[in-house]
Amino acid sequence: MTAPGTIDELRDALAAERYLVDEGLATVVYLALRIRRPLLVEGEPGVGKTELAKALAAATEAPLVRLQCYEGIDVHHALYDWDYQRQLLHLRAEGSEPLYSERFLLRRPLLEALSNPGCVLLIDELDRADDEFEAFLLEFLSDFQVTIPEIGTVGAERPPVVVITSNRTRELHDALRRRCLYHWIEHPDLGRETAIVRARLPEVPRELAAQACALVEQLRWLDLYRLPGVGETLDWTESLAALGAAEVGPEVTERSLGSLLKSHEDIERVRREGITELIERSRREGPDSGGRREAA
Amino acid sequence: MTGAGSAQLRDATAWVTDAVVALGRALRAEGLATTVDQELALSKALAMVNISDREQFRWAARACFLRGPHEGPAFERVFDRFWKGSKLDGPRGPMVEHGETDPRMPGPQHGGESLPQFRPESRSGHLLDGGSSRAAQEIPTAGAQEPGSGKRRGVLAAYSPEQTQTEVRRLSYQRDELEAVRALGDQLRRAHPERLSRRARPSRRRGRLDLRRTVRRSLRTDGEALRPAWSSQSVRPRRLVLLCDVSGSMERFSRVLLASLRAAVAAGIEAEAFVFATGLTRLTRTLNDRDLGRALEQARAAVGDWSGGTRIGAAFGDFNRTWGRRGLSRGAIVIVVSDGWDRGDPELLAREARRLQLQARRLIWVNPRPADIDLQPLAVGMRAALPYVDDFIPGHDPRAIHGLAALAHGFGAARPARKQRQLSSVAAARI
Repeated sequence: MTAPGTIDELRDALAAERYLVDEGLATVVYLALRIRRPLLVEGEPGVGKTELAKALAAATEAPLVRLQCYEGIDVHHALYDWDYQRQLLHLRAEGSEPLYSERFLLRRPLLEALSNPGCVLLIDELDRADDEFEAFLLEFLSDFQVTIPEIGTVGAERPPVVVITSNRTRELHDALRRRCLYHWIEHPDLGRETAIVRARLPEVPRELAAQACALVEQLRWLDLYRLPGVGETLDWTESLAALGAAEVGPEVTERSLGSLLKSHEDIERVRREGITELIERSRREGPDSGGRREAA
Repeated sequence: MTGAGSAQLRDATAWVTDAVVALGRALRAEGLATTVDQELALSKALAMVNISDREQFRWAARACFLRGPHEGPAFERVFDRFWKGSKLDGPRGPMVEHGETDPRMPGPQHGGESLPQFRPESRSGHLLDGGSSRAAQEIPTAGAQEPGSGKRRGVLAAYSPEQTQTEVRRLSYQRDELEAVRALGDQLRRAHPERLSRRARPSRRRGRLDLRRTVRRSLRTDGEALRPAWSSQSVRPRRLVLLCDVSGSMERFSRVLLASLRAAVAAGIEAEAFVFATGLTRLTRTLNDRDLGRALEQARAAVGDWSGGTRIGAAFGDFNRTWGRRGLSRGAIVIVVSDGWDRGDPELLAREARRLQLQARRLIWVNPRPADIDLQPLAVGMRAALPYVDDFIPGHDPRAIHGLAALAHGFGAARPARKQRQLSSVAAARI
């Protein structure tokens, strides 16, 4: 793993992985790398929380270990388990090896992360796991060391870089937050979003990408149930290109709206607002609406 | 971090620490629950960034101190003052002083839902501090944060009794009422709706094969799995979302409703409490204060539009967008307590109620007024929302707060048939 020496180097390394960060996120990620605190990122769906970990792993040339949380996840899914089938077979074959040894150990993501020095550990959507698991994780995150009763204590040579994401469906425990660096990822402003789309979809014409982003920016000002994130912007721009559009027009927008807005109410809402209207407004206000957003 | 960088910084460490501590204290005074732990993290972090760069300093401090986006504005207020009051070329002195005194000067306590609870605390802090130097020395000993905050609380009780009491008088809960709240909490704990968890528990009954335990057992019988071990799914409390109307027309019930909300929130059954009049206020955190009386007063103070007008549709919309979208109401039992007298747009209410219903496991509407809503010209909202309510319970006096426990229990498990229906006699009998 190669750790970037300065914040700018980090930003460039992430940009090389086509992940563009603003100053805030760059600083926080840099700190997470340097002082080895877990990084807790929250934000609306689709702002690139998970992507951050992936890009970070690629940028630092470290392996990525991912733990997807879900309700009911426990130590056996997250840390380790024993290969019972093989244990039983071994017993039947009257083997002589101890049953609870490395040979029958199944490494789950957390254990994997400990034995991979300097890797990036992504703990995705922690809010979906339940409180008990969070408590367990707390212990793991504080000293990067776990005890497997049958084998002993396993520690990390070098602690992994931990990125935790949460969608805030549940309030994470304060004790966990306290151990982490915290960052809330906002929707990017217009300029950065355009840059992201261009970096991710280099084959799409510049003009089309800029117009698409400007319209999405307009939509974020509407009172929608589910604001389109960067992920949706990318999907939609790709759809526009696939439909052979040279620019964002009312008709092609209408046809491809489904890749941008994912609920009937939201689509209705946008139609009521008037798609032509919105497109015109986005062209008029395009360049400076980013500033307006920050003022809000 | 190695070599020249840290050596160069070592001289500066002392004043950086002072600054960090001052910032931490200022944030605490503003209502953020910062800890020494976080201050240590920031001290470490600052050695990694260019501390004369405002943005880098700001983002490092944000990352270390913030625990949620809601703390952003308060942080920015404090940080602005903090940064302005310091000259980085002439360290020491001004920054510390600034952080110590400024946040307690008049002014910053405006708006914000969490502010009322901190006002007394910062005031007591003011009484405590003999001078800024003493306060700065106090920090290292505050290493154990728990006793520190406990001490502050104690001081609050001792030093500003008038303030707390005048506020208590506002809603004036009697001792027996508070007793009733506690009793309701117990009832709810026993009779809350449940759902199946994905977590497996060991079980005697034949369910899923628990290989782990089976292998262990088989060791006793020479590796022959004679006695399989089983596991089964465990149950968890199903989330209860309570949306209570505290507008003018519900005024005589509001006090008791608030108490019921507190009982539910503190019962440890994953209850979420919201009240609405013209807007929506989330009270779950506020009501969770360990002290019952204080929790109720704080909650009352946090609601800006208490006994105001009613815009149920807008309030539901607020809920759906900020909380429903994150999945708070997904699979939850949602109980709305309101008379449905609405001054907002009935169409909006119908739309939002439908959305709420689609996300919730069950949408229950408790209405203190009698069933004949067609005879109530003001119950426009009720008529609009009714088609989207799974269980409509009119004529239920929320002052009989134990009814809430019965309600939660009675409707727990089953998935409702989604169509309009009037109060069934069974449900009425149960309450």
